Amino acid sequence: MNTVLSRANSLFAFSLSVMAALTFGCFITTAFKDRSVPVDIQVSKVMIKNVDDFTGPRERSDLGFVTFDISANLQPIFDWNVKELFLYLTAEYSTKSNALNQVVLWDKIVLRGENTKLNMKDVKSKYFFFDDGNGLRANKNITLTLSWNVVPNAGILPLVMGSGHKSLAFPETYETAKSY
Amino acid sequence: MLSAFKSIPTHMDYKGQKLAEQIFQGVILVSAVIGFIYGFTIQQFGWTVYIMLAGFTISCLLTLPPWPMYRKNPLNWQPALPETSGETRDKPQENQKKKKHK
Repeated sequence: MNTVLSRANSLFAFSLSVMAALTFGCFITTAFKDRSVPVDIQVSKVMIKNVDDFTGPRERSDLGFVTFDISANLQPIFDWNVKELFLYLTAEYSTKSNALNQVVLWDKIVLRGENTKLNMKDVKSKYFFFDDGNGLRANKNITLTLSWNVVPNAGILPLVMGSGHKSLAFPETYETAKSY
Repeated sequence: MLSAFKSIPTHMDYKGQKLAEQIFQGVILVSAVIGFIYGFTIQQFGWTVYIMLAGFTISCLLTLPPWPMYRKNPLNWQPALPETSGETRDKPQENQKKKKHK
């Protein structure tokens, strides 16, 4: 500690250790919080087509089209340790060939400071709702749920499912007109 | 230009070094506690970091330059021993150097 450089060295190293302890404190204060809020999903239009699927092993697969409304208040989730939320809407169902199918239809990133009251109406799906086969036609029970991935400043990234879901049924016949 | 920097005296005596270490550890810990409580109250971790950085800057200013308060207990060097003429040329210069540091 006789020279400026050695004093600066110990000062800087001490500050970094204290900073690391503060970050751990920030993590500990929010590690055991419940990050689930109620979510309301409504569906306005449901349609199904049977199209050529070039990505799968078979010639034609079912392609579903869903138009939905989502509303949720995400404000209680944000605290001093949350940087952003990654929201995604999942459709879950079972068919004759597969017991469990999960398809992500839509996603959104909500940053800190942005509007946290989610109120989206007449949203079309962002990603194709392809089935692995032809199991969507006349499928009575498709469940839509909204989940999110909490991205923190310090700590683990939990996947949380919102409470509230919507069940819908696909029609019996394929749509043949070139609509949508 | 670099030799001008190297010739500025930056030493402190031992009690001064201990005082400097206590000062910077105290300042940084106090600013860390204040920052943590303030950041938790307004729920923004950025303010905790800003207050910590302010504490870091204050302790830099207080402890990095060799203020006179760190030189209150200087070391007592032994007086020079009388030697033969060959070495008396070196010793008086060393004595003069030590007196300049005080």
